[in-house]
Amino acid sequence: MNIEPKHSRSFKFTKKTKVPLSFNVRSIQVIITISFTMITVIVVLLVSLLLYNKFAKSAEDNANLNIQQIIEQVNSHLELYVKGMQDIYEVVEDQIGQTDNISESLLKEQLTTLLHTREDLVSVALFTPEGRMVLDVPDAIMRRNTQLKEQSWFLTALKEPVAVSFSQPHIQNLYKGQYKWVVSLSRMISYKADGVLKQGILLVDVNFRTIDELSSKVILGKKGYAYIIDSLGNIIYHPQQQLIYAGLKYENIEPVFDYSFGSYIDSSTAEQRYITVRTVNPIGWKIVGVAYPDEIVTTKKDLQVFIFWFLSIVIIVVLLVSIFVSAKISQPIRRLEKAVKLVGQGDFNTPIDVKGAYEVEQLSKRFNFMLHRIRQLMVQIIHEQEAKRKGELDVLQAQINPHFLYNTLNSVIRLVERGKTDEVVTAITSLSKLFRISLSKGMNMIPLAEELEHVRHYLIIQKIRYKSKFNYTMVIQDEALTCTTLKLIIQPIVENAIYHGIELMPDEGCIQISVKVEGERVIISVTDNGLGMTPQVMGQLLTGGVKSTGGSGVGVKNVHERIQLYYGKAYGLTFMSEVEVGTTVTITLPMVINEPENVEGDGLL
Amino acid sequence: MTRAKKKMMVLISFISLMLVSCSDSPSSLRMTDTVRKVSMIVKMNSGSFWNTVKMGAEVAAKEYNVELTFLGPDSENDIEGQIKLVDDSITNKADAIILSASDYMKLAQVTDRAAYHKIPVISVDTEVASARVKTYVGTNNYEAGQKAAERLIALIDGRGQIGLVSFVEGARNADERAAGMLDYFARFPNVEVVDTVYCGSDVQLAAELTNEMLAEYPHIRGIIALNEVAGIGVSEEVLKLGLGGKVKIITFDSPPEVIEMLQEGIVQATVIQNPYSNGYLAVQHAVEAIEGMHVPERVDTGSKLIDLDNMLWPENQKQLFPFVR
Repeated sequence: MNIEPKHSRSFKFTKKTKVPLSFNVRSIQVIITISFTMITVIVVLLVSLLLYNKFAKSAEDNANLNIQQIIEQVNSHLELYVKGMQDIYEVVEDQIGQTDNISESLLKEQLTTLLHTREDLVSVALFTPEGRMVLDVPDAIMRRNTQLKEQSWFLTALKEPVAVSFSQPHIQNLYKGQYKWVVSLSRMISYKADGVLKQGILLVDVNFRTIDELSSKVILGKKGYAYIIDSLGNIIYHPQQQLIYAGLKYENIEPVFDYSFGSYIDSSTAEQRYITVRTVNPIGWKIVGVAYPDEIVTTKKDLQVFIFWFLSIVIIVVLLVSIFVSAKISQPIRRLEKAVKLVGQGDFNTPIDVKGAYEVEQLSKRFNFMLHRIRQLMVQIIHEQEAKRKGELDVLQAQINPHFLYNTLNSVIRLVERGKTDEVVTAITSLSKLFRISLSKGMNMIPLAEELEHVRHYLIIQKIRYKSKFNYTMVIQDEALTCTTLKLIIQPIVENAIYHGIELMPDEGCIQISVKVEGERVIISVTDNGLGMTPQVMGQLLTGGVKSTGGSGVGVKNVHERIQLYYGKAYGLTFMSEVEVGTTVTITLPMVINEPENVEGDGLL
Repeated sequence: MTRAKKKMMVLISFISLMLVSCSDSPSSLRMTDTVRKVSMIVKMNSGSFWNTVKMGAEVAAKEYNVELTFLGPDSENDIEGQIKLVDDSITNKADAIILSASDYMKLAQVTDRAAYHKIPVISVDTEVASARVKTYVGTNNYEAGQKAAERLIALIDGRGQIGLVSFVEGARNADERAAGMLDYFARFPNVEVVDTVYCGSDVQLAAELTNEMLAEYPHIRGIIALNEVAGIGVSEEVLKLGLGGKVKIITFDSPPEVIEMLQEGIVQATVIQNPYSNGYLAVQHAVEAIEGMHVPERVDTGSKLIDLDNMLWPENQKQLFPFVR
């Protein structure tokens, strides 16, 4: 019981600074942390989901619009280009039509000039329907094995003589020199040779490079591209044409035919593709933009990454903050709980000093106040108890008088009967002085000199009563006389020595009282040469095991307790005794020097 | 119980994060943001064949986010130079090496060295004598050789002397083509392969060797040129000697010069490979190999015999003339 508070106090001090995070579900800390985090995460999640959807939607719309605009632009470029080529074709046709003789050198010059104005014009040529060449600009050597009658531009011109036909891009193999990719414009026209009107096929070859470059520059996102098909579904341009021919790539062309203008999502391949179709008028080519939505909408991904980090950081921050806040709230409460536990274990002296929330501080203050009050009440109770005890002692003190008076008066009566007047006077005088000191004006503390005087008178009276059955000596150190003492502490010891040590002795007894100062202590010893005690009896003396009959009634135990009550546990009685040899009782008192006004007495000794 | 609750909470938040971040998972290799370094080392840094390979490779590089380094020695005979290029690529820590080995045996060691450095090696067009090569992308050269031989036999009616103009002795594709031809010729007792020369992919040398060969064996009825450079040299020399049409010529690959000769009737047919597909597929499989995916052991990109009749077919035009000029 004595050790435990000490233990818990040290426990408290080590843990006060850092109460461990509580993992009890019902603890305030966990409740606050969980609910705080949950709510924040849910709210943040909802908000970011909403924002994400909104942003992603608008980003997607923007991207799609962007793609459409790009394709639209390419389309208008192409249309313009095609229109330009058609115009050139018509110019060439006009010039041929205006010339009377096709083999005129002026016509050739004019056409050569025209050819030079446009870099991408490769050649102009006129063929008879039989495939014989009538006119060619520039002048170049024809190759052999041209198979021109089997080529598509020739066949189309024969089949549909009205409109200018645009061929698929193909290799021009008519002239020596480079093999060039060209688009052939052809139509059946009329021309005059030597004034005779004839039919012929006019071929204008336009370098495909311009269209190729225009189309290949279309970049839709990172990997999106554009391709061109003609009205029959033949690929005019495709950035990966070779792969398609090799069967390594597949382009889903069929749905494109359903559109001449519009956009759709193509899911035929593993990756979803966003397809935009525009038609190049008037030749009926379709320019098709292919974009990868999941890749084009990079914002979507950025957004995802952003939201991911945002959420992670928010969760971490919220977790930290809620742990901190909940700790801030719950830790003082837990400290308070620890402190209250200490009080419960009996430690009333450690003040509770818990800092924290206002409520907790107030609680701690009130608790301290309560503790203070409890301590006060305890002190009060102790005081009351002590006072009560003292009162009892006073009563006991008072009780000795009639008993002793009765015995003494009996002795005096016997002396009077025997006519021993002197002794009667001595006895009565001693008695009167004894009582005067006993009373001491009601004071509890008296000078040691008076106490000794009191004992001397007591001894005188007893000596008369016991007819000189004993002798006594008093050896007193002068310094001791000045100090004060509790009254009635030596007399009961002497009384004991007489009644228990000497009265039953056949021989004459001897009582020796000595007073000396040892440092801060006053040692008073009362020695008799009486019967002595056995150690067992001696042991029981202070516990009240021995009941004396008769006597003053103030027991040895009583004296001991009073001394201890007034001066503390360090003082009191000690016994030394040997059967048939005698007993020495030693009283140890503190050296308390009396103040002059407290000194009572009439100049004794 | 509290632990479980906390765990659950963590789980919930993570799931929600996952939902947000992975709503559409990357479906293919195309989506990756990481740039992979691939070195493509071919036999020679010029020529329309290799330019077409490069074009296909560049398309794939763009598609798969590859940083492509296209390398080749100046001459196809420069085997040491090619070895050095491979070594440089190993030093530069390429993620993958695509190699068209000029010499089947001599490039084997450096290929193993690359594999030792955990760099996957893809063979393109020509194989190399290493078991560590991940895959071979290219023509089945033996079959291509047989195709060429078959056409020549038809042209010379199954009898007469034949000369072969190859390019580099020891190059796997040359050897395989020659093997295919010789195996085919062996069926015809009246056919005799009188000479095989190696021009080292030098037009001048090819022409000179053809001249010598024709001088030595004036009765030669047919010549097969085993690659584009040899084809140019042979056809030019035959044209110059005025033997066009008399000496039938079958070539490999389709440089513009050869196409011109084809149209002029000097060259009767040419066996074309698919250099564009070779380049494209080599890079694609290189990326797959980098990612540790399974790649097929051999990828046959096919070969085709082109003559005057089919040269203008639209699908052949694009293959014969890959570049828009």
